Amino acid sequence: MNNIIVKAERLTKVYNKGVGGDVFALRDVSLEIHKGELIAIMGASGSGKSTLMNILGCLDKPTEGSLFFEEKEVSKLGDKELASVRNKKIGFVFQSFNLLARTSALENVELPLIYSDKVNVTKLAKDALNLVGLADRVHHHPGELSGGQQQRVAIARALVNDPDIIFADEPTGNLDTKSSYEIITLFQKLNKEGRTIVLVTHELDIAEHAKRIIKVSDGRIVSDELNNSPRNAETELNKLVKEVKNEN
Amino acid sequence: MKISKSIRISRNQLLSNKIRTILSLIGIIIGVSAVIIMVAIGNGAQKEVLNKIESMGTNLIVVNAGQVQKTSGRQQIRGTVTTLTIEDADILASECPAVSKSTPVQTKKLLVKWGNLSSNTTITGTTSDYQTIRNFYIERGTFFSEEENKASVRYAVLGQTVVKNLFGKNDPIGETLRIGRVPFKVIGIMESKGTDLNGVDQDDQIFIPVQTALRRVFNLTYINTINLQVLSSNEMDFAIKQVSEVLRERHRLDRLNKSDDFTIQNQVELLETQKETTDTFTALIVSVASISLIVGGIGILAIMLIAIKERIKEIGLRMAVGASRKDILLQFIIEASILSVGGGVIGIFIGVFIAIMASIATEWTLSISIPSIIYSFLFSLAIGLFFGVYPARKASMLDPIESLRSE
Ligand SMILES: Nc1ncnc2c1ncn2[C@@H]1O[C@H](COP(=O)(O)OP(=O)(O)OP(=O)(O)O)[C@@H](O)[C@H]1O
Ligand SMILES: [Mg+2]
Repeated sequence: MNNIIVKAERLTKVYNKGVGGDVFALRDVSLEIHKGELIAIMGASGSGKSTLMNILGCLDKPTEGSLFFEEKEVSKLGDKELASVRNKKIGFVFQSFNLLARTSALENVELPLIYSDKVNVTKLAKDALNLVGLADRVHHHPGELSGGQQQRVAIARALVNDPDIIFADEPTGNLDTKSSYEIITLFQKLNKEGRTIVLVTHELDIAEHAKRIIKVSDGRIVSDELNNSPRNAETELNKLVKEVKNEN
Repeated sequence: MKISKSIRISRNQLLSNKIRTILSLIGIIIGVSAVIIMVAIGNGAQKEVLNKIESMGTNLIVVNAGQVQKTSGRQQIRGTVTTLTIEDADILASECPAVSKSTPVQTKKLLVKWGNLSSNTTITGTTSDYQTIRNFYIERGTFFSEEENKASVRYAVLGQTVVKNLFGKNDPIGETLRIGRVPFKVIGIMESKGTDLNGVDQDDQIFIPVQTALRRVFNLTYINTINLQVLSSNEMDFAIKQVSEVLRERHRLDRLNKSDDFTIQNQVELLETQKETTDTFTALIVSVASISLIVGGIGILAIMLIAIKERIKEIGLRMAVGASRKDILLQFIIEASILSVGGGVIGIFIGVFIAIMASIATEWTLSISIPSIIYSFLFSLAIGLFFGVYPARKASMLDPIESLRSE
């Protein structure tokens, strides 16, 4: 099968923290991500989910083991190639958003486009904000947006350069149920259009929307199973909207 | 990524933190404007000196009695030498082919009286050729002629300062004043000449025929100076040799095996020594001003390092969304360049402005030099780049995840 996007071989990540000794954030993790997958990574806090995502997203280097992105070994990529992979192939949604405080939502979303060769930067950024339902917040600064809205700006930024794979670290962590379903609806739609999506979540009912669920504990993968009947976020969302209407 | 994009990012960065930007500009601004002002002052001083030397007359050679000693830049004649005479002046003009004109000069400060006003003024005994040789002409009335000199008439030609001091608004021509106890009739007024190289007011001077001066006023048989005009500037050295030979012969120095009892100076020499001193002066102030430019560069360095620390998350994020290390390096180098170019340009405007204002407000001659503008600008650009590269490299070596995690 030649539809592997990311292949991780025996990844280990060790943080050296003087007093308490070494912290093994990842131990011997091997993993393959195929084109078109929708994967949920679950695990307790501190189990190593973010560390794994950062390495899979070509942002961090493993202490040991190797990572292949589209069959190329990431540690052997040059400065320019690596930057280009991060820019064009990968969209990353950080657990803590990482928006630029002094710039508007629009400029935040434009950021990846600046480093690409795209020309209609503003239009693409507006489209992405539209997609996440923030068309009316284009010129707001992150400080003027709610947590959920900031989350969606971060998602728009990950989407804007039309990447092959999107890594989202707890994209629903700050959202209420309705907003969470909206985001998952968006991810399921993007996945249907052919994009590969990996997301981290604490909540099982969010994870059940994925086609594959990986459970991490103490830096190890403890289970990796296909979910043959993923839930559909859109129908749940409609249900939710109806319920709210009935209540009124 | 295109350079134009990097420039836009850098510009936005600088605009979004105006106070910091202004602070980092100040050093360069002061440095550049200091260089421009200092060089303008140095240049102005040099120009003034050159003007003075040139206004002394063209192709001028000055023969002084005795050996001229140089003490702290000024020239002084030691002792009294009595061998230089009016005849020497005449003979030099007729026997040296390279010399076209000559005029004897004897000066002394004396009390001059008109009515009940008096003034201590330099009395210069000379001939009418003095005007051409020293490029210092009569403005009103007449200068005494060669015949009047030979006849030792008591005619006086006044400098403008003397006119002002003694006569005020009265017309001095036709009036009689006393030099010492001798009465002189005023027949002319000189044009205004200003100060000489040593800062002496050349208008505070009364010209009288040299014969009259020696016989009736100074009671001397010798003179202290002969001014000579050489035919052309390339015959200067030749003329000096001739003058020296003639004078040694006339003063019988060779036969007695004595050294020169006179000193010959020419304008070219004066020009060169003066240029040397002003050049060292300019070099000194420029190096002082350059230090302030370097300090300005260190300011840029400090501000950039702070900026990188403050923006470490942003740098990490840019890398995470696809900025290459080269992009980050370029962005910070461009930022440093904008700072140094901006500081340079503002510094040029301020420097030129202050120089112009200073020359209007003070008596100084300030001459703004274009090379000083170009060099200080290039220097500030080089400094900005030099001090910008280190922080820029530092920023480009950051690790994206570590940067994003840092607070
Ligand atoms: N920079 C670091 N230095 C030292 N230890 C770190 C560092 N980053 C992570 N760790 C440690 O590595 C382990 C895994 O951290 P990670 O952030 O991957 O957890 P997580 O599964 O994402 O947790 P959460 O659900 O709370 O986000 C934790 O024990 C954490 O303390
Ligand atoms: Mg995490």
